[in-house]
Amino acid sequence: MIKRYLLLFSLLICLWCNAQPAESNASSLFYALRTKVLTVHDYVADVKMKINVAYMRLPDLKGKLYFKYPDKIKFERNGGISILPKKNMNLAMSNLIPQGKVMVIDAGYDTLGGKKVHVIKVVPEDEGNIVLSKLWIDEQALVALRTETTSKDGTAKMELTYGMYISQALPDKVVLYLDVKDYKLPKGVTMDYDDNETNSAIKSSGTKKSSKGTIQITYLNYSINTGLNDDFFNSNTK
Amino acid sequence: MTQLLRIELYKIFSRPRTYISFAIIAAISGVIQLAMLSDGGSFVNFALQGVNEQFDIQGKVLNGYLVTYITLQSLLIHIPLLVALVGGDAFAGEASMGTLRLLLTKPISRTQLVLAKFSGSLVYTLLLLIWLAIVSLGVSLLLFGTGDLINLKSDAFVLIMHNDILWRYAAAFAFAGIAMMSIASLSILLSIFADNAIGPIISTMGIVIVLTILSNLELPLFTLIKPYLLTTHVIGWKGFFDDPVPYHAIGNSALVLIIYTIVFLAASIIFFNRKDIKS
Amino acid sequence: MAPVIETKNLNKSFKDFKAVSDLSFSVNKGDVYGFLGQNGAGKSTTIRMLAGLIFPDNGHVFIKGQELHNNTRHLLQHIGAIIERPDMYNYLSGWDNLKIFASLSNKKIPNTRLHEVLELTGIADRRKDKVKAYSQGMKQRLGIAIAMVHDPDLLILDEPTNGLDPQGIAEMRKLILHLSHDLGKTILISSHLLYEIEHVANRMIIIHKGKKMVEGIVGDLLHPGDTLIQVSMLPDTDVAGKLAGSAWQVYVHEHTSSAITFKMDPAQVPQLNQWLVQNGMQVLEIKTKHLLEEYFISLTNDAAAKD
Repeated sequence: MIKRYLLLFSLLICLWCNAQPAESNASSLFYALRTKVLTVHDYVADVKMKINVAYMRLPDLKGKLYFKYPDKIKFERNGGISILPKKNMNLAMSNLIPQGKVMVIDAGYDTLGGKKVHVIKVVPEDEGNIVLSKLWIDEQALVALRTETTSKDGTAKMELTYGMYISQALPDKVVLYLDVKDYKLPKGVTMDYDDNETNSAIKSSGTKKSSKGTIQITYLNYSINTGLNDDFFNSNTK
Repeated sequence: MTQLLRIELYKIFSRPRTYISFAIIAAISGVIQLAMLSDGGSFVNFALQGVNEQFDIQGKVLNGYLVTYITLQSLLIHIPLLVALVGGDAFAGEASMGTLRLLLTKPISRTQLVLAKFSGSLVYTLLLLIWLAIVSLGVSLLLFGTGDLINLKSDAFVLIMHNDILWRYAAAFAFAGIAMMSIASLSILLSIFADNAIGPIISTMGIVIVLTILSNLELPLFTLIKPYLLTTHVIGWKGFFDDPVPYHAIGNSALVLIIYTIVFLAASIIFFNRKDIKS
Repeated sequence: MAPVIETKNLNKSFKDFKAVSDLSFSVNKGDVYGFLGQNGAGKSTTIRMLAGLIFPDNGHVFIKGQELHNNTRHLLQHIGAIIERPDMYNYLSGWDNLKIFASLSNKKIPNTRLHEVLELTGIADRRKDKVKAYSQGMKQRLGIAIAMVHDPDLLILDEPTNGLDPQGIAEMRKLILHLSHDLGKTILISSHLLYEIEHVANRMIIIHKGKKMVEGIVGDLLHPGDTLIQVSMLPDTDVAGKLAGSAWQVYVHEHTSSAITFKMDPAQVPQLNQWLVQNGMQVLEIKTKHLLEEYFISLTNDAAAKD
């Protein structure tokens, strides 16, 4: 038993030693990105959201997305109904990048859309929801083009495109990939009208037990650091 | 014929019983509105359980449009009963009252009498639906305001924007008119065979209930006959609350309902013209 | 001229029950035609066939010479009928009921006519009351008002005195005679009571178990000479001897030691009584009964015995 721990320990040490030269590079890249991201304490953005989940049929949602560091987020549609993924799949960049003490692991380079990106893995040392974050970072612009966050609830993947607000690391467009659990209500309850058209539409889209979905958010403009109040996020307009 | 129809309408609307139906609709609608006012939040949370696991749904989910949808959903069983109340009474009621024989010793055509009674029931049915629209949609919008509509289907979550809803209700009520027309013709057909009104009213209800259950059973045998069942199509109004609207299926359902109506009506005319009036 | 009603070999069965069997009769213009039969004899079924409510299995009904089945709508314009109970829309007033049925008669009927028939039937001042508040007699009158409002040539009245008190029966009789004598209507009136028919009808039919038993002119059928005079007395051993020598012998129908039945005109009863007393017979009771009545009652007893 002890032998086994020793072996594991030495293996980890070795890994850490081997990674050491590149590691400091990756670490500094991560901290630089984090600092940049954290300059935005809050923002209000006009957004257009396209939810693409097999069982959900809804039009594009236009509204205002409010964010406040570290994890407050709200989507408002002027009295309309808004839909956001649960908190732990948060959309805010700063929330995908773990806070506090972290361990950064260099995972080499990759190419995204013809661009060379630095891939790093971040493991938070504090007890939190996020277990592992993988970031694809454009070193020149100092922005993450892709993130993959593993939390206790599963893995969320995000792809980001930048434009006007690249200096604040705020994307123009975010595509969030998520695993969607199956949804079903008993027919006896809903008393569905069976029309073959929508049924076949679902069949052709190949919906099964659990499937992939995407949420596409297009940011039209940002107002940054307007000093949003915490209370604003708590007001529930149900 | 117009004279016969005028008389039928006069008879229908001079009876207190007729207005009970209107009161029942107002009562059911009112009870649902009251329940939603007092405890609508928990109802919505309960209904959205499945979706809430993964998504945060914020905003005015409980609004007039949703309450109306819930009301229509639960009135699915009741409206045919109210239609049957008048349709089932059309001939059987007169038979049990004894007025049918007096009526038929007058120089009127039996075919025209069937058509007049059908038209009379239809007018009553349409007024009932208009009344339903007023007390469910009108009052709910006053009480709860407008908003986006979430429609939960067994396999889908549909969200419809608030400015895209009203026409759907108009279409849905129009479709319900066609659906109830088929129920009215069924109850009139049954009414011809009976000498008291309870029989055809109960039979119409029984048929609607049994067929509704068959329509909702997911058994291979029933899936086979399902496209031919009246009740499968009666709820076609719901199609207007889907996205995209399955126009083809709705059109098909409307056609099936119209065919049913014509068949029931033709059978009514044939049987009534041959019937010995013994009541 | 064709009879107002003529039936030819009417037959109607309900499942295994033969309600009307090979029934032929005719009602002429101006007749008050008595349609007599026990309950269940087939009167109602026949009358419903005359009014187009029930279709015969075979045989024909002709109204004014035209086949009813092919011309129902046209011919019903000439008929006013109350069939069985006078049932109306209880939740409407008498006036509304009359108005509704008048409007279905294929011709424009002015309100003055409605008032006229209500006056005639004597319910004018109750016209605004709901029918559910009417007595049976008032419903019967309203029924007649409805039957005659469109001024038909032929009235079919099924048991019109049902549920009426004696005064009501007398008034109904008066009304029928008025309709016949003064307005020249042809009337078919059904009853299960002979005495109701004999005072109003000029011709009549008796049916039993769906079959015609007797049809003819009331005066002939109820000829006075066909009256049975039943004498009850204290027993007398020499009844036969006393009768044998007398003029009354020819009228004797049957006799025992305490009863003699004669068949003769009841006008002679006083003389008969005198003779009985003179010959020492102690009379207890003299009853007169028409032969037809006797016959009709025997049909009843038949039916009763069968039940």
